[in-house]
Amino acid sequence: MAEVLTAALAIAAKDISIELRTKTAFMSALVFAILVLAILFFARDPTAVAAIDVAPGALWVTFTFAAMVGLNRSFLLERENRALEGILLSPIPRSSIFLGKLIGNLAFVFTIELISLPIFMLFYDVAIWSGLPRLLIVMVMTSVAFVSVGTLLSSMVVRTRFAELMLPLLLLPFLVPPVVGAVQVTARIMAERPLNEVAGWLKLLAAFDIVFFILSLMLFEATLEE
Amino acid sequence: MRDLSRTFGYRLILDRLNFRVDRGAVLAVMGPNGAGKTTLLRVLSGVLKPTSGSVERSQRIGMVGHHSMLYDALTAAENLAFYCRLFGITDRNRVQEVLDLMGLSRWQHQRVGTFSRGMTQRLAVARALLAEPDLLLLDEPLSSLDEYGVDAVLQLLMRLRDEGTSMVLVGHEVSSVTQLATSIGFLVGGHMDVIEELGGRDGREIAERYREVVRG
Repeated sequence: MAEVLTAALAIAAKDISIELRTKTAFMSALVFAILVLAILFFARDPTAVAAIDVAPGALWVTFTFAAMVGLNRSFLLERENRALEGILLSPIPRSSIFLGKLIGNLAFVFTIELISLPIFMLFYDVAIWSGLPRLLIVMVMTSVAFVSVGTLLSSMVVRTRFAELMLPLLLLPFLVPPVVGAVQVTARIMAERPLNEVAGWLKLLAAFDIVFFILSLMLFEATLEE
Repeated sequence: MRDLSRTFGYRLILDRLNFRVDRGAVLAVMGPNGAGKTTLLRVLSGVLKPTSGSVERSQRIGMVGHHSMLYDALTAAENLAFYCRLFGITDRNRVQEVLDLMGLSRWQHQRVGTFSRGMTQRLAVARALLAEPDLLLLDEPLSSLDEYGVDAVLQLLMRLRDEGTSMVLVGHEVSSVTQLATSIGFLVGGHMDVIEELGGRDGREIAERYREVVRG
């Protein structure tokens, strides 16, 4: 287990340092997130629809599509100079590649979410300070859900010619349950309602996390085969 | 390797290959383009699984392929340090040792993306040597190198062979094959049933034999 974690952390650290140096995915995701927030804000008629009614949806649409940019980049890095083969030559368990990529992707997605959140608060003028800890927990749960599936699918499509097009096509159907759940829970948090009103959605998010994390981990090795 | 075959879809690339590479032996594999030489190395390395048959291989394998397997955004030293962590190499001086060995110390803090092809190839050899492999898989390791680089890498590989490192070498340069290899196989049409000990044969003889095999 220690061996798996050491290798996973090495891969995650490598991905993060490449991203910090190039900022390719980070800048694209951030600009994308700001643009989506702005467009959705200005598309709304403030006299007809209250900000609080559309804010949860806008937040999760932004997070979901911004995350896609990072997930796409994740395995494209390994395609460059066939670096993945270098990793496969090392005597590490293949599950550690998945875990390393998952950790790197989670760090990326969570950073984008944390930067986008104040911008979202600025646009929609929703007071979520009191509910912030609960919102952060929902963000972690939802991010784990779509990064687990996204990491698996990113590895699967990277060898295809249209990898960047294929990933959203395959990933979005999987994201419907966790994102709908996240929107429901976020709406209650913003309305300062008790979370037991959405206990079902929270259970769904937790179940999705566990099931898809385990499934993705188990299936990952098959995606490395040519 | 025993009865090893590999297909891609319906295309049979390697057809029931049988051979072994002993300690300190260097098997050179020659064949026309598209014969499956690179596929053979990738199966031997474990990156590709065989469709049928089996491969018994050592734990520590180093490979120099057509691609460098390096990250352009990282420096030479960072790339090697990353692979050290994956191979569980705890010796902090190992990166410096292989960089010195390949004459790349001066550029260790330079990003690989700024390297010339020859320098990248030398760094790829350094990467392959990091874990002090028992088996080296070399796919045209001398390509892109200048005269000095060819000489340095060839001398290094000969020294490693003499110290007991086994190698499978894919290459077209007959001169390097005759200097380095102990036996030779010609891979044609998925078959490699012609494996001959080199034993002092000169380059002309090998080139002639190769032409004969390819012509069928």
